[in-house]
Amino acid sequence: MSNLLELHNISKSFGALTALRNLSFHIGEGEVVGLLGDNGAGKSTTVNLISGIHKPTDGYLSVDGKKTLFTCRSDSADAGIETIYQHTALVDSLSITRNIFMGRELTDRFGFLRQAEMREIAMEVLQNAVHISGIDSPDTLVGNLSGGQKQAVAIARAVYFKKRVLLLDEPTSALSVRETEALLNQVLKLKAENVSSVLVTHNIYHAYQVCDRFVIMSHGTKVFDVAKADTTINQLTDYVVLT
Amino acid sequence: MTPILADSAAPRSRTQRQSILKQIMGMPAGAIFLVFMTLQIVCIAGALLYPNEFRYLSPQNLTILMKAVPVLGCLALGAGVLMIAGEFDLSIGSVYTFTAVLMASLVGAGVSAFVAAPLGVLAGVMIGLLNGQITIRFGLPSFIVTLGGLLFWRGAVLLYNGAVQVRFDPEPVFTSLFSGTLLGINAAFIWIVLFVVGFHFLLHRHRFGNHVFATGGNRGAAEAIGINTNRVKLVAFAIAGGMAAVAGILATARVGSVQPGQGAGLELQAIAACVIGGLSLRGGRGSIIGIFLGVLLIHTITDVLLLLRAPGFYLDMFIATLIVLAAIFNHLIERRGVA
Ligand SMILES: Nc1ncnc2c1ncn2[C@@H]1O[C@H](COP(=O)(O)OP(=O)(O)O)[C@@H](O)[C@H]1O
Ligand SMILES: [Mg+2]
Repeated sequence: MSNLLELHNISKSFGALTALRNLSFHIGEGEVVGLLGDNGAGKSTTVNLISGIHKPTDGYLSVDGKKTLFTCRSDSADAGIETIYQHTALVDSLSITRNIFMGRELTDRFGFLRQAEMREIAMEVLQNAVHISGIDSPDTLVGNLSGGQKQAVAIARAVYFKKRVLLLDEPTSALSVRETEALLNQVLKLKAENVSSVLVTHNIYHAYQVCDRFVIMSHGTKVFDVAKADTTINQLTDYVVLT
Repeated sequence: MTPILADSAAPRSRTQRQSILKQIMGMPAGAIFLVFMTLQIVCIAGALLYPNEFRYLSPQNLTILMKAVPVLGCLALGAGVLMIAGEFDLSIGSVYTFTAVLMASLVGAGVSAFVAAPLGVLAGVMIGLLNGQITIRFGLPSFIVTLGGLLFWRGAVLLYNGAVQVRFDPEPVFTSLFSGTLLGINAAFIWIVLFVVGFHFLLHRHRFGNHVFATGGNRGAAEAIGINTNRVKLVAFAIAGGMAAVAGILATARVGSVQPGQGAGLELQAIAACVIGGLSLRGGRGSIIGIFLGVLLIHTITDVLLLLRAPGFYLDMFIATLIVLAAIFNHLIERRGVA
């Protein structure tokens, strides 16, 4: 059986700087992978590469065992990959509903929005799939939400559009403790629905709480790749700190 | 029993009224709507109390208002859509004159106005696209690019036509279509109402409008989600140029001639109307109704000051104050929205 997503010997240079060197790892169906490493290790570059923002200098990606080249963000979106950004990609001046359907609006054949339908779905997703406290209406402007609520909206977007892989790049850096907890639970809930996640984080404890496997990077390469069952927090910490 | 009822009823009705007020203020164009309605009530009351001194409600005055609104209205609608997409067009005043001269001289050369007018609009659209292309290709501020456009097309009018006025003699059907009356209402005013309705649906009920707001509101987010923001901006530039030409048609049909200097300053009035109507200078915020109310407000104030025989500089000062107040108000709303 092939993995959902595989990176094969990927290298990425920005001019003279080599950000990724010969990086290979995979993400299985319904698997939560923790991508760990110090600042500048190349985690964000990896995420950008998987989401199609960067193209590899060398090496390739495969989806379901088939070699693929993502040339832009919408290529990866078509393959079922959704990115939750460090600074979430939402439009503050628009409502939650409009943000969830941004770029993928439900319309009639003339392009006019099916507003009532979108609103209903947004309400449904917010209430059932993504439990976020304090949001009472899908008409609320996203600019009025807290950091955690914003991320919940971004996740709601992924849930509704039935994404297969969620890429989360330091999603908890702007969140309160309670919001972080909610987000990590969200990742587990999605896993139960067979959605995979790649969680980039500085916080090994957060990663340990939800991840099935850990990929540790240092200076653009993988230095450790281990299943949760075969490791301990102490060992992971050592790898992140010492390599 | 009665006093208690009265006591308990009074505060409730007051909170109810407050919440309605709050609701209106919370709507996209709510604040400007309140200002506009207040002004109307004051004006109408004044006209009823002093019908001879303050002829606000006289048929002549209403006709003047209805004729004045459409030109600035068209310019502001185009400029507004572009502003929401996060760009400016300072050239629309010059484009308005240029396309009107083009249309009028084509008609003078024997071309049917029904051919010349669409050609004028096409020219406006092309100029808008050119502004957009230069802005996007070279990553320049549109403010600078279209400042260039303002001077360039103003010069082009003089080069092409000289500083003389151009007569416009279209078929009578054309004139009545754009400046006749229907059921006592000025045709140009009917056109602007149709445009407002059309633009409202385009911007607030159509996918394109959603992408305009996203492009102006958070360009990075819009691109991350797969929206082609350059294309959205290009279309918005084209709309601004095209609506400038439409404004030129309405003005020319009304007056029957084009003055080479007639567009000067209109671009700033259009942007002023947008700001008064609640648009953010940073893009991503605003509404079509707000833009239209901004235009109506500017013309109502102009009209009132004329009726009161106030000197012209009062008008400028008044509008200036209004713009700054509106900008401060918008800024506060934005800050609250982002906090
Ligand atoms: N667009 C880019 N252009 C040039 N250098 C970049 C770019 N993106 C990342 N880098 C460099 O690549 C290296 C890895 O960065 P990054 O992937 O952001 O690390 P991490 O997310 O693990 O902290 C850093 O040295 C960074 O400066
Ligand atoms: Mg990073």
